[in-house]
Amino acid sequence: MAAHAGATGIRNLEGHADFDITWPWTRPGGLRAGSTAVLRVKDEALSMPWVLPPLLRAMDHVLVVDNGSSDGTPEVTAAAAERAGLAHRLTQTSYPFAVARAGAEHRAVHELSVHSLSYFYNWCFAQVGTRYSFKWDGDMVLTAEGEASLADLAWQVGDVQSIIRVPRHGLYLDSRAPERGWLDLGLRNAEEWGFPIGPDFVFTKAFEWEVRTTPTPVLSIGLPHGLCVELKYLDGDEFAHWTDPASFATSHRNKRKRREWQVFNALLDGTVPEGVHEIRAPAGVHVVDHVTRTWLPRAPRPLQVGTVVTSDDQR
Amino acid sequence: MTDPSADDSQSPRTVLFVAGAGRSGTSTMAGLAKILGLHVPQPEVAADATNPRGFAEPQWVVDHHDRLLREAVVQVSDSRPQAWFDTGRISTREPERITTATWLEEHLTVAVERGGRPELVVKDPRLSWFLGLWRVASIRTGARPVFVTMLRPPAEVVGSKQTYYGNKLGSAHLAASWLNMLLHTERATRDSSGPGVGGRVFVRYADLLDDWTRVTMEVGERLQLQSVLHANSEQIRDGHRFVDPSLRRMTQTLDDLALPRRLHELVAETWTALDALAEPDGDSAAAHVTLDQLREAYSDLYAEAEAVSRSSVVHAEHRLRRGPGGPPPAPAGPAPEAAPAPSGVDRVPHGLRAAVPPSVRRGLRRVAGRQRPA
Repeated sequence: MAAHAGATGIRNLEGHADFDITWPWTRPGGLRAGSTAVLRVKDEALSMPWVLPPLLRAMDHVLVVDNGSSDGTPEVTAAAAERAGLAHRLTQTSYPFAVARAGAEHRAVHELSVHSLSYFYNWCFAQVGTRYSFKWDGDMVLTAEGEASLADLAWQVGDVQSIIRVPRHGLYLDSRAPERGWLDLGLRNAEEWGFPIGPDFVFTKAFEWEVRTTPTPVLSIGLPHGLCVELKYLDGDEFAHWTDPASFATSHRNKRKRREWQVFNALLDGTVPEGVHEIRAPAGVHVVDHVTRTWLPRAPRPLQVGTVVTSDDQR
Repeated sequence: MTDPSADDSQSPRTVLFVAGAGRSGTSTMAGLAKILGLHVPQPEVAADATNPRGFAEPQWVVDHHDRLLREAVVQVSDSRPQAWFDTGRISTREPERITTATWLEEHLTVAVERGGRPELVVKDPRLSWFLGLWRVASIRTGARPVFVTMLRPPAEVVGSKQTYYGNKLGSAHLAASWLNMLLHTERATRDSSGPGVGGRVFVRYADLLDDWTRVTMEVGERLQLQSVLHANSEQIRDGHRFVDPSLRRMTQTLDDLALPRRLHELVAETWTALDALAEPDGDSAAAHVTLDQLREAYSDLYAEAEAVSRSSVVHAEHRLRRGPGGPPPAPAGPAPEAAPAPSGVDRVPHGLRAAVPPSVRRGLRRVAGRQRPA
């Protein structure tokens, strides 16, 4: 069974009628032109001041759905949008149910449960009012070139039924040394982030996490490497959204997570793995700003990126 | 403004992109920028009878855009809203980004080697299709992209194109192409505080011909073009020798074009909205809302026209397949639009598709024998 079987929406198994899903294209007035980035966040207060400004500039709208943060993420998000002068493009809401972690926990939950990742994603994207959407994470920061690229595609895509893949690179941070970081270019990873909003593109259940349905055939375009980094805090719990490491230990689908696990633990041990660049920003400049505004935009092209390829990058 | 006594080569790298529909005064604007000291990468397209004072267009840029347009299957005057995604998609390709940035880097260097400032002017009637590509090239070369969009009443643009390029396409097509070009050029250059955005100015061609010194200095000040800000007397004299008010020879009105009613209204409203952008403080959030609505209205109009005229497309496809003197297509075979291609429905614009009630959509899917993917 696929959760998207409902013609006008879906009801959850628990009977929380106020969190039933109404598909946005069935609402009176329909969808408007433009693109919305949807962020499902939990405890991303550290990252949001970097994540939000370029995304707000690139998108027509940004929707942040908080899922039980305890670190003040909603307040930090509001303040970051205000500072950027783009608070009018931000909508914040919250989803109160505990969502199953990726891996074994996810597999055990029915996709029509409010605790299911796919139900959660369907609910989040049902709040979108534009015809195109970008799934985004609360730790993904666009580079200058990434911002310019998405800002164009956000309006160019119009009614075209195309998926957009965005490569990203892990940027590992040590909060004690804000001018130093490690950028992982050892992995080729371009996941599908951009999707039209419509009945052909809804979320359903995959083995470890959710997957978005697509018509067959479907147009898909990929952006070049070097446009987005994913912040990883060496003193944080970067794998809290997974049930346990065993959940990503074996399948080809989980190459990216295994690479992150390897790089994360190597850096904690004081080793810089192959393909990882240690980067020092000029004095007084945070390494995130340096990497996204200067280092990556000015790096020689084509960017030298490793040969470990994730499945999404092969489409 | 930078210190006039400072070393010119130390000025910020800047690229002035002159956009707008062809026959809107883009050559005059770019030519003035060149006279005042911005570098036009060489060689340039040679002057001809359609533009006797020259185009100020780098030949490489014209060739580059022509190749990219061919690859995207987009015409210079293309009225399809989807054409922007087609060219945008080409612009995401890494080899094209590398090629464009490499060329830009080379000519920013040449400008300084020739004793000037690192300030270029890039102009081509095809430019609007690839503004994103050039913005990326600017980011990669550490340059500040700034944009001038030339505005000329659409009736004059269409009239000029009909006169100089031959009236082969008809005024409705040319007017629709103008709408598509200008509404999306405005969107593509819309200002924000982000990187890759150095500012933009809208200039009326009539204002430029009426008093080019006032208009050009305003452009220089707003876009911080050091070459304009520090132009010398001889360059200003050359500017007066260059600008010829008689260049604006078209005087026809929109009524003369005899456009379909809705297209006529959209063109008139769009011109009013664009014209206001050239006013001081005209480039406002309220103006953007109006232009967004007009762009949406144009996309809807085009989608409707495309759906209504599908028979013409099918007919043209048949004729092409048949070729000169070739056999007619087999009558027994299914017509292309009736073929059970799984992607057919996906080519219907989403706005139209979403307007079909889900129950009807399901029924159509059953009739067509298509199942929703599980």
